[in-house]
Amino acid sequence: MIRTARRNLSVYSAILAMIPKQFMAYQLWFWISLVLSVISMAILVYFWRAIYANTSTISGLAQNQTINYILLAFIFMPLTSNDLIWEFGSNLREGTIIHHLLRPINFQGMNYAQMLGGLLTRLILQIPMAVVAVFIFGLRFPTDLSTWLAFLVSALLGFTVMFFFNWFLACFTFYTTEIWGLGVLVDGMTFFLSGALVPLVMMPEWIRNIVLSIPFAQALAVPVSLLTGITPLSDAPLVWFIQVLWILGMWIISTLFFRVAVRKITVQGG
Amino acid sequence: MTVIEVKQLTKVFKIPKKEPGLSGAVKGLFHPQFQNKTAVNEINFQLDAGEIVGYIGVNGAGKSTTIKMLTGVLMPTSGSIEVLGRDPHKQRVDNAHDIGVVFGQRTQLWWDLALIESLNLIAKIYDVHPVKYKLMLDQFTETLELDELLKIPVRNMSLGQKMRSELAAALIHAPHVVYLDEPTIGLDLIVKERIRDFIKAQCISKEMTVILTTHDLGDIEELCQRVIIIDDGRIIYDGPIETIKKRFGKFREITFETVEDVKKLDLPNGTEMLSTDDHKVQIRFDRTVSTASKVAAAVMNQIEVRDFSLSEPELSDIVKQIYNGALEREAR
Repeated sequence: MIRTARRNLSVYSAILAMIPKQFMAYQLWFWISLVLSVISMAILVYFWRAIYANTSTISGLAQNQTINYILLAFIFMPLTSNDLIWEFGSNLREGTIIHHLLRPINFQGMNYAQMLGGLLTRLILQIPMAVVAVFIFGLRFPTDLSTWLAFLVSALLGFTVMFFFNWFLACFTFYTTEIWGLGVLVDGMTFFLSGALVPLVMMPEWIRNIVLSIPFAQALAVPVSLLTGITPLSDAPLVWFIQVLWILGMWIISTLFFRVAVRKITVQGG
Repeated sequence: MTVIEVKQLTKVFKIPKKEPGLSGAVKGLFHPQFQNKTAVNEINFQLDAGEIVGYIGVNGAGKSTTIKMLTGVLMPTSGSIEVLGRDPHKQRVDNAHDIGVVFGQRTQLWWDLALIESLNLIAKIYDVHPVKYKLMLDQFTETLELDELLKIPVRNMSLGQKMRSELAAALIHAPHVVYLDEPTIGLDLIVKERIRDFIKAQCISKEMTVILTTHDLGDIEELCQRVIIIDDGRIIYDGPIETIKKRFGKFREITFETVEDVKKLDLPNGTEMLSTDDHKVQIRFDRTVSTASKVAAAVMNQIEVRDFSLSEPELSDIVKQIYNGALEREAR
């Protein structure tokens, strides 16, 4: 039992460790996206400074609080990445999914390790952005250790919610085979609905209700609100509990859908 | 010892039937019509440990469908499969530990990474002991000449290099059963030769059981003692390759390109003039009766020859001949 668990852990961490290496294959892309990111970050900051020009608080948030939130959300954006849809799409198009199904390990576990590897790599690659945010746009990281801890737990839970949600969406690619539309649609929705542009508390209540009843915000707005103090630290256990419920729900529907969708390969032959 | 046992194996695909025109397309949205296509039809065979079997047939005959069912990734419609005592579909993960698969047209390697990275990870996934892994890797590096390839990303490799890498990846965990689906497709003769030698050596030293699908008669002749021929989902021949070769491989064709127009030619026994063009003549001869040199000498004595070429019968031609009932005709 322990041996199996240790073996699984070593396999999954080996899979995870492949991802940074894959990222390094495209160095030019790293520099281009860094420049693009700095530009978008500047646009967001100046946009919010302009909004605060005539008012000191919006929905109880001061300018520096809002800008802090926006910058942190920007840095932790990788939490919402939906590579899974593209991954499924290319696997199905090239037929390599057969090889993945023929590996003597859990297919979903393998993908989770891959996505986690992608997340960690992307977060490390965000470090230059964080430096820019601190020195140019005045970002202030919290110094309180328990706030960071609450954030990290919530971030991992939120990432897991998105993993299962994306797993559910990715199953559609078994039927459509075309992924570009779905991928771009989900990318766009993630950007707006994860709370990367506007803090949730500023949204009109009915919009906030919608956003909180779909999973996107769980991965970004929820943990980043904890980190910035918009959500008080005392609410952290409740936040985690809700996220665990999200995980359970998403895990069940995504697993059921996958079981049906994979029959496209295992019964109809792809 | 029986390693693979296939009984009454059948696979029926449900294919959407589309009626022509816009009204048909709309109708299909609401009342999709399906028709059944039987890809594999009640086939039976058994493989013993250490056998290398060529599994051949024309495109669409049902080869890949059979292989997919044997690996466990595709569920049979009816019938049973046992590989090393397991049902490969129901025990897919256990089964996966003991098999190796190469699909000639799809890669199992990580595209952007150096080959060695892929191999390291695969060894980990299949729980290969580090000492044994090192041994295998050294051996493969030598026989497949992977030395320079280990550090190259797969996306930068040529087709032949890729295929050598694929083979290493499929066999690094020393599987008992190996499925090779067109492993030499599109490769040049030298690479083909190297890959065949490698497969042969692996089989002898490791007692691997191999099913090999191919369109290349050379692969079959080099590697297999036994062939199974499938056509339209049914097995139409299962037996030693010698028999097939004797029956259907005894004819050769020579094509001569001549300086003058070809008129009439006297030919030795066991030959047949297939066609004559202005400056071209095609002759078929029976290898058991005549020889290439006899035919060539006879032609060259009578007419000035600019060029000539000798062609092997294509495997697909043999399969076609068999499908057209040559086996039954001979039986009569």
